[in-house]
Amino acid sequence: MRRSARRAVWLAGGLLLLALPLLVESRSWLLLLTQIFLFAVYAMSYDLLLGYTGIVSFGHALFFGLGAYAAGIVMQRIEASLGALLLALVLSAVLCAAVSYAVGALTLRLKSHFFAMFTLALSGLFLVVAEKWRSLTMGNDGFAFSVPEWLRGREAMYWLSLGFLAAMYALLRRIVASPFGTVLVAIRENEARAAALGYQVHHYKVLSCVIAGVIAGWSGAFHALALRFVNTSVFSVDVTLDALLMTIVGGAGTLIGPILGAALIELAHHGLADLANTHWIFERWIIFFGLVYILAVRFFPQGIVGTVQRWGRARSLRGMPPQPVSKGVGRAVETVGDERSVGNG
Amino acid sequence: MDAFFHLTLNGLATGMLLFLLAVGLTLIFGLMHILNFSHGALFSWGAYVGTWVYLTTGSFFLGLLGALVAGVLLGWVVERFVVRPVQGKGLAQILITLGALLVLSEFIKVVWGPHQVSVQPPAYLSGSWEIGGVVVVKYRLFLILVGLGVFFGLKALLQRTRLGLVVRAGVQNRDMVQALGVNIGRVFLFVFVLGSALAALGGALFAPFSGVIYAEMGIEYALYAFLVVVIGGMGSVTGSVLAALLVGLVGAYMNYLVPEAALAVNMLLMAVVLLFRPVGLFGARG
Repeated sequence: MRRSARRAVWLAGGLLLLALPLLVESRSWLLLLTQIFLFAVYAMSYDLLLGYTGIVSFGHALFFGLGAYAAGIVMQRIEASLGALLLALVLSAVLCAAVSYAVGALTLRLKSHFFAMFTLALSGLFLVVAEKWRSLTMGNDGFAFSVPEWLRGREAMYWLSLGFLAAMYALLRRIVASPFGTVLVAIRENEARAAALGYQVHHYKVLSCVIAGVIAGWSGAFHALALRFVNTSVFSVDVTLDALLMTIVGGAGTLIGPILGAALIELAHHGLADLANTHWIFERWIIFFGLVYILAVRFFPQGIVGTVQRWGRARSLRGMPPQPVSKGVGRAVETVGDERSVGNG
Repeated sequence: MDAFFHLTLNGLATGMLLFLLAVGLTLIFGLMHILNFSHGALFSWGAYVGTWVYLTTGSFFLGLLGALVAGVLLGWVVERFVVRPVQGKGLAQILITLGALLVLSEFIKVVWGPHQVSVQPPAYLSGSWEIGGVVVVKYRLFLILVGLGVFFGLKALLQRTRLGLVVRAGVQNRDMVQALGVNIGRVFLFVFVLGSALAALGGALFAPFSGVIYAEMGIEYALYAFLVVVIGGMGSVTGSVLAALLVGLVGAYMNYLVPEAALAVNMLLMAVVLLFRPVGLFGARG
């Protein structure tokens, strides 16, 4: 009964989102929702690292930007066709896989701090390269490009992004529910123990990093396609920060959390940008996000979805005979990664 | 030859500034196992407070003093209200200092506005000497001397005092130090505040060196400081001064030869160190 009710809610929500372009006239709302869908995918890819594997990256914008530039450059240099679009997605996947593999293979063997620092520095490097390599990227000015005819309408882009979000959600759900995903959670909970059980922990971490990188690259590619424009801002620290905020506020270690987080943060961006006209303090919106972020890490490390799930579980347990509680969800930020449990000599 | 000397002096001066920023990071990491991202914001705060005091009072040294005071106060606030509550909580302690970095950097724009501020060295430190045909910019020499002073001061503090003994022991094994009855929490606070003050001092010294200051410079230079910490080895003061000079010199030479590749070469240096000696060139342990 509960299961079928939940399914009905999902179905109704999905149909509503599908039909939305036919009901809503406002193009700016469609664009905002498109952004939410694409950032939701980006945040989910980050959550595979942070929430499921317990790896902290401070340079996720790196992959987002690579994907965005791959799409922009292919569309601009070759032609705006379906074939070029597919080529852009393949190119984005190859680039992101290569970079994430190199970074992961190099630093994931070490303590978690090294990966965080290395990704931060590397995304800074990519930002500088994108600014300096003007013949390819046009630097900070960026460049506009055209997209295939059938993708020009806001509605088409909306449906494509929604489909992309649904596909990536299904894919990531399969991944985290698979034996592979279970090992990732085991690594998050206790890396030394997972290694002692005989898992090649390093391989799992690198693969998790590659999957997250490729998916983030695609979300960047679609982001560029939606705007039909790309500049160096796709590599900026703000983009990395978005991933962190969306994942942590929404709920690390769940897939719905980052989607909800993406919606909240994008809406907040939108709302605060409007408020900036009323009072200058709203121009400094990073302060608000930073404070929310600090408070979330300190007091709600499980995020919105994780906290709600815990309440729900506590309530359903009260009236029922005791049953095993899955302890995995949403604990990533809270507990894992005590540096003393993993030595690197 | 002249260009070479010029670049070397410039690189050493930059390296000394990086050392001031990196030494706090490396000590905080060595002792508390915390990667303190907010350190970069302390650098910006030092630059702004130092410049503000310098421009209002006209005294450069009062400016440096002001920056030190600001560093001590902000360091205390960050340690007490941001870092301490998440001590030992795994990922949270890596994540939270990034939030502090953003809030503190953005707050600079609230206080002093989002625009760049330009600043010149005081009269007695501006200009240059000509010694045997080579030009020595006074302010750069001054930076190198201050950096050396701080380095030897820290060395003396760590090697010759009881507090330094506790800090060094804490880097080796903090549980044991605590078991011996030392209030390690207070030592953490001291090291955190000291590191923050040095970062702020670095920022204040940086301002007349670059000529302009802006809120985002903290994040930019923190990247270099991280390179220094990784190359030098976490927890090692000698490592961080040598690595800082190395990174500064490489940056200066590359900026002259191939400006586009300056950061890339330093990144490569870090990648090589990570690959072959992850504890850093002078780190005793990881």
